[in-house]
Amino acid sequence: MTLKRMRFLKELFAFMGLGGRLRLEWISSAEAQKFVKVVSEFTEEIRALGPNPVGRYTCESGKKIGRRAACPTAPDPVLADTAPGPHTVPRAAAEGR
Amino acid sequence: MHEKVLNLLETGKVDIFLGYKMMAGHPLPHAFGRHNPVEVQEMILGPARYPLEKLAVEILAARPDLKIGILARDCNRRALNVLTVHQQVAPGQVQVLEVSCCPSPLQRHADCSSLEAKEFGAGKKEIGIDNNLTPDRLEAMEPTERFSRWMYEFQKCLKCYGCRDICPVCFCRECSLEHEDLIGTGDLPPEVPIFHLVRAVHMAGRCIDCGLCEDACPVDIPLRLLYRKVNELVADLFDYKTGLSLEQPPFSLLFDKTAQPAAAPHGA
Ligand code: SF4
Ligand code: SF4
Repeated sequence: MTLKRMRFLKELFAFMGLGGRLRLEWISSAEAQKFVKVVSEFTEEIRALGPNPVGRYTCESGKKIGRRAACPTAPDPVLADTAPGPHTVPRAAAEGR
Repeated sequence: MHEKVLNLLETGKVDIFLGYKMMAGHPLPHAFGRHNPVEVQEMILGPARYPLEKLAVEILAARPDLKIGILARDCNRRALNVLTVHQQVAPGQVQVLEVSCCPSPLQRHADCSSLEAKEFGAGKKEIGIDNNLTPDRLEAMEPTERFSRWMYEFQKCLKCYGCRDICPVCFCRECSLEHEDLIGTGDLPPEVPIFHLVRAVHMAGRCIDCGLCEDACPVDIPLRLLYRKVNELVADLFDYKTGLSLEQPPFSLLFDKTAQPAAAPHGA
């Protein structure tokens, strides 16, 4: 069941555009080497994915934000979409929301 | 229709009947009773939709002695099935009088507000999500694009709880969405995407795809689209068809045995 539940969450995350950031492994306390291998591999995978995009919607103080008004020092995550990606938001369209 | 309702009331099969009536220019849910048979003639059919089964369950919580009838489309029936398997109402305690909703060759005239075409502005289509999309169409986009589109939508949330309040299958007395340890309070928008993902996960095995949440959302967040994906996953991974029968145990993501057939006490 845990397996299915994790697949459910993984796919829901992927649907949100946050795929690849969740992993399930069974490692016994006797399998130190497997633990090291899994953690190193996953660390590499996560690093390759880059920073978690949800972080761009968070203030330095760690407070979660949505709009810039809630956190005046942070760039507006929609207008100043700094992460390279195919979906750069046209300024005019964003302002007209 | 009116005769059927009168008959149900007069023969004592139901004590009150929930249907719709024009009030102050709006079609609103209304409880018709035996004491006022003339009023039954004022019951209307039409595209208006409310979760009448949810109202019935709430009335029954206060007056378990009553028998209630409701006007039901297919979505109302599915929701009633979910409420029954979750033991919010006993089987048969709410009687349904079916009305057609979806158009078919036999019934060209369709009566459902969700069938009205909705058109969204160019800005929303460009940087947000067109609510008319299907999960597949959204999945064809790049993940980074999908994420920024979802975040654009979620950030509009006013935390009005309209989606939860209208939802026929949201019956919990305590709601995670109001739990301050789970979701921060005092800011708008609420914590995104957590707020919406928590609701999405909780809709697994409950959502019957009526679309009332999306209709209720004042800022047009494509909630139904999100829960359609949830339903797809629940059907594919757990082989659970939400609301389609009374023969299945309630679905729960957290506890193994409830998602299994009743005969198998311990999950795989
Ligand atoms: S479509 Fe929305 S309102 Fe209807 S059952 Fe699903 S979550 Fe609830
Ligand atoms: S109805 Fe829309 S705006 Fe209101 S809480 Fe739900 S998602 Fe947010």
